[in-house]
Amino acid sequence: MAILELDNLSKTYGGTTALKGLTLQVEPGSVYGLLGPNGSGKTTTLGIALGVLRASGGTVRWFGQEPTAANRRRIGALLETPNFFPYLSARQNLLLAADIKQADPRSVDQALDSVGLGTRQHDAFRGFSLGMKQRLALASTLLGNPEVLVLDEPTNGLDPQGIAEVRSLVQRLAAEGKTIILASHLLDEIEKVCTHVAVLQRGELRAAGPVGNILATADRVLLRPAPDTPAALVQQALTVLPWVTDVRAETGGILSAALAASHGPADVNRALFEQGLVLAGLEIRHRSLEAQFLELTK
Amino acid sequence: MLFRPELRKILPYRTVWIILLAYAVLLMLFVGAGGNVTLNGQQLGQSLYVFPALWSKLAYVASYFTMLLGVLLIILITDEFQFRTFRQQVIDGASVGELVQGKLAASGVLAGFGMLVVLGVGFYFGLTRAAATVDQAAAGLPAVLFYGAQVLGLLALAALVAVLVRRSGAAILVFLLYLWVAEPLLRLSLPDELDRYLPAKIFNSLTPMPGQELLDTVAGPSLALLPTQALPLALAYMALFWALSYLLLRSRDL
Repeated sequence: MAILELDNLSKTYGGTTALKGLTLQVEPGSVYGLLGPNGSGKTTTLGIALGVLRASGGTVRWFGQEPTAANRRRIGALLETPNFFPYLSARQNLLLAADIKQADPRSVDQALDSVGLGTRQHDAFRGFSLGMKQRLALASTLLGNPEVLVLDEPTNGLDPQGIAEVRSLVQRLAAEGKTIILASHLLDEIEKVCTHVAVLQRGELRAAGPVGNILATADRVLLRPAPDTPAALVQQALTVLPWVTDVRAETGGILSAALAASHGPADVNRALFEQGLVLAGLEIRHRSLEAQFLELTK
Repeated sequence: MLFRPELRKILPYRTVWIILLAYAVLLMLFVGAGGNVTLNGQQLGQSLYVFPALWSKLAYVASYFTMLLGVLLIILITDEFQFRTFRQQVIDGASVGELVQGKLAASGVLAGFGMLVVLGVGFYFGLTRAAATVDQAAAGLPAVLFYGAQVLGLLALAALVAVLVRRSGAAILVFLLYLWVAEPLLRLSLPDELDRYLPAKIFNSLTPMPGQELLDTVAGPSLALLPTQALPLALAYMALFWALSYLLLRSRDL
């Protein structure tokens, strides 16, 4: 049973479409990244999933059920900015959250300590720096030992040490078997902590799957068929090779192919030659993680 | 039911205590000053504080300060939009129904506070200035209950305005404009048989002006409803306003 299933989810604000038919599944125990530039629909997706935004279409299921307040209490979530009462102290705000989550009030101390706010617990939220507010929001997500954590840009406002701590916290929680859904526009963040990723752009799903497949930085091989060798035949031949993971027609009759790690450009040349297909040129194109992301979101 | 979370929000909030204090002090001062008013060369003093009529007079006077409680409830609700805490509570596992129940509970607390202040002020002035009539005090107490119903009614209206407008300044303005301008103007354009059913008029009918019977003998019978007639309609308005608040919250993005 999937932890979260989104089926054909859409959302429009007035005339603006923020989400177009998004379908994805988050499996138990995964660290699922929602990756996309600002305005790509990540927060809208999570807002709908968490019941604070109304979907224009589509369905959401948590733990195989219709979303309810009761199953939201099994989730610890930070959506966009930390939202607390400014005149209450950190501790009072967490006690309030614990009441709503029906969590043991004693877990407040542990949550505050886990984000390093134990000594500032009696200070009013309004006096906190952005980083401290973010830490308090993270502490709030941990109340009640939730099965799932939903973290929207959790490292916003944190200094490098804070960012490293959050990443380590996410990895520790994932190791405990919790499912984590992490929205970020930071490629590096997703690559470092996530097992799966969905790439969003302008409200549309561009790619989804294991991080290794989607954000693979494997080099691509560029092939230029000989003048008497039709590019379409080369493309067809490449498509059936099990170790060629992707074939695309580029401009100027050039083809590009992504290869499994077990094979190299020489294998491509040999396989094509054995089928009577001759190449006039073959070169390796090195790709950065950023280039892969930009290509997915262009 | 989110009663405990509501208390956690309200009790440490300085604005709440300032407005509640202002309500109590203003009522106290107004009622205290009322006894010093001279009419035809005679101080009203003693006659104003005589039980059981004191309760209906107090309820009527207190009704002028009820909007302070309405303003307070508007602040409590619009704060939730401004701080995005309604949103966070839903994320944390509250239902929209529970959010509304929480505010309904807060309005109950405010109405209870209003009634306690009226009782406190009444007993203070009654016992210090007309102690001989204290054995009749219980007879007029239903007026305080009607006042409580009036507070609940106006708070239901305030809650609806707050949910509709979402911003504190604008919501307070709309609330006061409705009570002081819009509905009175509407009443002018409606026949008396109809205007008595408008919400603010219904709520006002719960605490009629003392001496209304005397005025009726001079100016003819008033078409205003008696408190006992107005009560079921007031309850219906309350239910309607809270239901509309719930539906609005449920249908809009938080």
